[in-house]
Amino acid sequence: MDGQAKTILQRIIRKIPNKKLEVTLKSWDRLSTEQLESLDCTQPKWLFLENLISRCGEKRLGLKAVTKLEMVYYIDNPNQGTWQAFQLMEAEDDAVSVSFTQFRERFKANLEEDFRHISIRMKKLEDGAIWIRIAWGDNFRKPNHLKPTYVVHYLQTPYVFFLNFMSKHKPFLYEALFRATRHTSIKEAHLSGRSLTALRDLVMRQYQQVFPTKDRTLKERNGTPLHPNIEKEHAEYAERRHQMACEAFGDGILPKLERAVYKLETRYRGNSSNTLNDKDELFRGVVKFSSSNLLQSFHHCVATGIVEGPVTPLLSSITQKGKNYFVITDKVPGATH
Amino acid sequence: MMLERAGTRRTERPQHSRLEELRNAIATLHVKRDRLRIETVAVKNLKQKMDQGMPLEDHDYGDLLQLEKALLTSRHMKLKDLQSAHSLIAGYDLMECNQGKSVCVSLHTAFEGVYVETYNMEVDLTRTVQISRHNIPPYVPLEMIAKQTLQTDFKGFLQTLSLHLNALAGRKQQISLIMELGTVKVIERNQLCNFLILMCKAQEESETVLCTLEYGDLTRYLPTRVTIESENTTLVESQQWRKNRLLLLEFPVHCALLTMRKMGSIA
Repeated sequence: MDGQAKTILQRIIRKIPNKKLEVTLKSWDRLSTEQLESLDCTQPKWLFLENLISRCGEKRLGLKAVTKLEMVYYIDNPNQGTWQAFQLMEAEDDAVSVSFTQFRERFKANLEEDFRHISIRMKKLEDGAIWIRIAWGDNFRKPNHLKPTYVVHYLQTPYVFFLNFMSKHKPFLYEALFRATRHTSIKEAHLSGRSLTALRDLVMRQYQQVFPTKDRTLKERNGTPLHPNIEKEHAEYAERRHQMACEAFGDGILPKLERAVYKLETRYRGNSSNTLNDKDELFRGVVKFSSSNLLQSFHHCVATGIVEGPVTPLLSSITQKGKNYFVITDKVPGATH
Repeated sequence: MMLERAGTRRTERPQHSRLEELRNAIATLHVKRDRLRIETVAVKNLKQKMDQGMPLEDHDYGDLLQLEKALLTSRHMKLKDLQSAHSLIAGYDLMECNQGKSVCVSLHTAFEGVYVETYNMEVDLTRTVQISRHNIPPYVPLEMIAKQTLQTDFKGFLQTLSLHLNALAGRKQQISLIMELGTVKVIERNQLCNFLILMCKAQEESETVLCTLEYGDLTRYLPTRVTIESENTTLVESQQWRKNRLLLLEFPVHCALLTMRKMGSIA
């Protein structure tokens, strides 16, 4: 096993917690059962790594197998790093009928045309997600496996998610995607975050959305038992707030976003005689909301009454439009793009 | 003094005529009131007679016709309004929200008599008709359908969308019903469920047969093209399998497969 493979292996093993080591190695499907049993996952990581390397040596496993392990790891733990969402535009008529085989052939052929040295690995999952791992080289250098780009695409949808995406590779990657998916342009979806599942759920609307319905069966959960008179008066009020929060941000387990950024390009409007008022220049500012689970926090604020309703469209646009980066200009009283 | 008295007599005359006018008006209204009183009493009596089931006399029939006519006219108007409202929303579950600025549509899907999924859509009506949010999956070509009909024909838009969603629900259900059969394996499928490859075992020689179903029309739950492949080319070209191919084209997949199993074509 060469130096690059060892470095990658070390990186992956360090990241995986001890409890998950066995499971990950099993789904890797490269070591025999006896070899797996011979490895002790409770050992300190450096010792475990040494043993693992010698087992790999027994089977003559090299770089190719290690990159497979890395991909297996990322597929099982997709919520790390910074994923960015993009949307393919201008679909051709046959975009809807592209099969996985066609996609794979066209994508690989396109990139291999442009790069003499490139390593592409592709896998299609049960839920229709296509995972692609690309290690970039060029005409002279071999592929650099230490800085791979990961791309996740759901066929028959226009959504693509990138991880570790370098701008110099953009035009080539876009072109390959266009040819493979039969679209002609791509735009940034203004959505990024740590959790791939959250980004996917937001753009594909797979979280529990709440729409206004005739029969409101939503009831307040976690109602603390209070004096019955207070409860009676409070119940309708609380239910209305809960409904408002759910309509704006969803119900149940919400997609996990860490931040929302609003870039202001508006004019300062105040009624004091500040010098800021006179300027014709734009008042540039950035408003950033951060949280370990942003949508949950917003939901809680509205449902408990900390924030008064109705929910401003600036905040509900996060779920409605599936974005967490907005540029606000003067012309439209709300979020643009 | 003479002038003054003459003056007062002249102002009295307009007042006098005004008084006459008012007295006449009172008289007319009295007559009208009396007439209405008589009519009300007559209708009340008629109603009482009808309620008690007593026989009607000749002079009652005139009043009865009047009453019926009035009732029918009001009912007709109410039904006309209801009908135009119903046709406007194409019979779908529509709910007003946001103080009339937008409506929320619920689209239900069903297959073979079973409700499958419900999709919702909020449509903004302020300036132009725009979809503000929805929970329709992204592989349904919503933007394309909206581009074609949303602005010009709301009812048509809802109907086309409903066709797509119902067909999708039908295709999805068929796949889960195939998996219940057990002996047929789904090798490839996609999210829109418009491309399907099945693997079955031919009964006689236990040969594997691959059936590829392509659904070119997204508004239908039946395939537009079926291809049968197997290593045994004579089997594929046999009359039995030609019939099977037609079955797959004309019936929902799980029904066709069940028939094929009953006829002994597949395991």
